[in-house]
Amino acid sequence: MSGRFRGRAASGRAISVWLIALLVALVATVQIRSQAEVEKSFAGADTASLAFLIDNLHRANDSLQAEIADLTQKQAKLQSGSDNAADQVLADEANRLRAAEGLVPVHGPGVVVVVNAVGLQAIDLQDLLNNLAVGGAEAIAVNDRRVVVGVPIEQTSGGVTIGGATVPPPWTISVIGDANRLAQAADLMTQQMRTDRRVRQATYRVEADVVIRAVVSARPFVYGVGP
Amino acid sequence: MHSRRVVSIFVVAAVALATGFLVAGQVKVQLLTPTNQVARYQALVRSVQELAASNADSRAKIASLRSQIDALEAAAAQRSAATQALQNQVAELRAHAGLTTLHGPGVEVDLADGVPGTDSNAEAGYRVNFKDVQDLVNLLFAKGAEGIAANGRRITPLSAFSGSGGEVIIDQGPAITSPLKLVAVGDRNRMEAALNDPGGLPDIRAREVQFQLQISFIGGPDLVLPAYDSSLDTRHVGTL
Repeated sequence: MSGRFRGRAASGRAISVWLIALLVALVATVQIRSQAEVEKSFAGADTASLAFLIDNLHRANDSLQAEIADLTQKQAKLQSGSDNAADQVLADEANRLRAAEGLVPVHGPGVVVVVNAVGLQAIDLQDLLNNLAVGGAEAIAVNDRRVVVGVPIEQTSGGVTIGGATVPPPWTISVIGDANRLAQAADLMTQQMRTDRRVRQATYRVEADVVIRAVVSARPFVYGVGP
Repeated sequence: MHSRRVVSIFVVAAVALATGFLVAGQVKVQLLTPTNQVARYQALVRSVQELAASNADSRAKIASLRSQIDALEAAAAQRSAATQALQNQVAELRAHAGLTTLHGPGVEVDLADGVPGTDSNAEAGYRVNFKDVQDLVNLLFAKGAEGIAANGRRITPLSAFSGSGGEVIIDQGPAITSPLKLVAVGDRNRMEAALNDPGGLPDIRAREVQFQLQISFIGGPDLVLPAYDSSLDTRHVGTL
């Protein structure tokens, strides 16, 4: 009886050891597998996306630093306490904002893109203009219609309209900004466009002084309230 | 007899452990990517994080400088009527450029990723991308918005949208990803009608069906937009 009992106890211990060993092996497998999955998810992500982000952040941070330098200069000028200095700062700021908002005629270095196509839609023009904005556009006009974000570009039965006015092709897009960056953007854009069957012509030229005389009308707020 | 049992138990345990480690080793070989690739990726991630932190610091500094400049301009305007008139003009221009906060009636639009499809050619269609934000901004402005912000980033007359995959970059801000919230202040009724129009936003609507991309909106009587906190670059533009 005691021998059978000892035998049962021994086999119970053996099963326990088996179970523990299997559990350890299972835990080890799961652990290594999860580590591998995590690392795989890292490496599986698109490194090109990260490179794109880094490039963008570098450029963005440079622009922000330039803005900080500009604002610091304005602040110092205002702190000088002279009324003339304040008037000068405010007048410069007003001119800069009028240009950004498309309220005044402007000129400067840039590119002129010509796109002749049949069947391009408003969304195609919005994409073109956004590409140029990403490329550093500071002022844009299409067929002598000034465009800033907020000016409606819509598809109607009569074609594409900008601010309610039809802009039939060919589209001549005048852009002011950093000419080198804009040329890169325009080059890539026109190359891509030429692969589109609807596009007959997509070219660009760099100009030292692009003139944009078209302006948008100021729209006072009806619903929005400022600070 | 007893010692033989103990030895046999240890042998069995050792074999079981060895089997476990062999299985784990096999899994490791199959799943683990080369260490240098992981290290390179991690270095890229660290770079993005550092640059994004620096970006946030700079934007906070710009917001603070603009606030100090506002106060200095206001003080100068107290001393001269001409300066006061100029300051009023600039305040109006800044409001329209998105450089100051804006509040009023409007809509809040929520956009979120859908579900990946089985078609590998259309794999990114389930993610919200920068063109979705661009399309929504264009639609809302065309239908009465007077100011818009996307995930707290105010849209300006010179705003640009870019990105890769599901990352959306607006101007000089860091990348934002789903879920996105666009807030627009303006003609609430027109904006709501446009968002209810099944013919509007055709690409988003198609992906709503195909990938369950999520878009919803709600109107509000008094929504608040933050001020733009980055650079409005017009260095190359001269007025005629």
